[in-house]
Amino acid sequence: MIYFTKILKKEFLIYSRKSSSFISPVVFFLISISLYPIGISNDPDILKNLAPGLIWITVLLSTLISFQNIFSEDYEDGSIELLLASGQNLSLIVLIKIFVNWFFSCLPIIILSVFSVFLLYLPQEGLTPLIISLLIGTPTICLFGALAGALSLGKNSITGPALMLPLSLPVLILGTQAINYSLNDISFSSNILLLTAIFVFLLPIILFASVGALKLHFN
Amino acid sequence: MFQILKNFYHKLGSYPWFYKISGKVIPFVAVLSISLIVISSIWGLFFSPTDAVQGDVYRIIYFHVPAVSVSQVIYYSMSVAAAVFLIWRMKMAGVYIKSLAPIGAAFTFIGLLSGAIWGQPTWGTWWVWDARLTSTLVLFLFYLAIIGMQSTFASRKSADTAVSIITLVGVVNLPIVKKSVDWWNTLHQPASISISGESSISSEMLIPLLLSILGVYLFVFFTGLLFMRAEISTREQNKEWFKKLLSNN
Repeated sequence: MIYFTKILKKEFLIYSRKSSSFISPVVFFLISISLYPIGISNDPDILKNLAPGLIWITVLLSTLISFQNIFSEDYEDGSIELLLASGQNLSLIVLIKIFVNWFFSCLPIIILSVFSVFLLYLPQEGLTPLIISLLIGTPTICLFGALAGALSLGKNSITGPALMLPLSLPVLILGTQAINYSLNDISFSSNILLLTAIFVFLLPIILFASVGALKLHFN
Repeated sequence: MFQILKNFYHKLGSYPWFYKISGKVIPFVAVLSISLIVISSIWGLFFSPTDAVQGDVYRIIYFHVPAVSVSQVIYYSMSVAAAVFLIWRMKMAGVYIKSLAPIGAAFTFIGLLSGAIWGQPTWGTWWVWDARLTSTLVLFLFYLAIIGMQSTFASRKSADTAVSIITLVGVVNLPIVKKSVDWWNTLHQPASISISGESSISSEMLIPLLLSILGVYLFVFFTGLLFMRAEISTREQNKEWFKKLLSNN
């Protein structure tokens, strides 16, 4: 247990020392959010309808910037190899890495998405489902990101995103639907429950698959 | 019976045995599949009755339905092969996935394209963001990811394992995608043929349709064997048995 706490601390330290890991998704998010009104329309009525989808898509795309961070540096400096050789429970280590990555790349965006109330004219009653659905949906996306990152380690190819985005489709649909439901006074709890179910269902599968994918690079 | 199956399964893992057997099977499958496709196309295009509502446009069904149905079946068969590869390390399963992925992608594309051509006169639009179309598009993307993954690993075994992992994760996720887009939007007509229960299509149209489905499945079997033989010959080109085979012919 102490071992895993140490890894958790180490990961936190690495991410907090390297500011680009959490600043670049945030900057990307803010830039895109401010581009939508300019590119589409500044009419509040149009933006209000588009806001749930736009926010979710932007969050999804900004995770594309950060998912390579989960394993790539550890791969380059060789520490993944040591972790693999350590004989410890790899799934747990991967889980810690995913959690820290989520904490630094997704959580700031989720907090910032509050600004979308002003910038994209999202009605206030849409704010709660937005935050809840993002809090529950983004960990699933980070799971897919970890798998894509583990598979495309050391290669700068399109395969990572090409794998990750179609997998994230259900999360995107359920997430935006939750917000739209609440804007139309329909209960959105079923969507949140489904998002949670998807996360719980996929967590062991993806962890297992990511560990398998990591091992492939060291034959 | 079980013993025979087990023997067959074990033999299937051997490249030379598969190469020999598939060479014998291919001509029959080729003739059968192509003649079935030709017969069902002529029957469907010229002799089956005109649809009361859609007119002659509906005849594209003889290409659309077989392509879409085979594209899903190929994916599910690939995921079985992926499980076989990950559990028993059967190298033939890797060959199977690699060879069938382009065929599956091609048929998914044919399905999407013929659907668009069918949709234009009947729905008045080439594309709608409907549940079935979207999940077929996602299937197509999965195929592309699998094909793209093949080239990212230097060693053949790692590539096969990576592709198997993706295929399995994809097959777990496909039902979720399907269900979630179902809630999202549906315009597509429900399936006309069902194995159990009454089909909602007249038998004069049904028989050529079933023939064309059978023909396309056999065609996939035929091209699959061809692709697998090609893949085996690239993997084994320096092996003794393959050189012997070449020098004998």
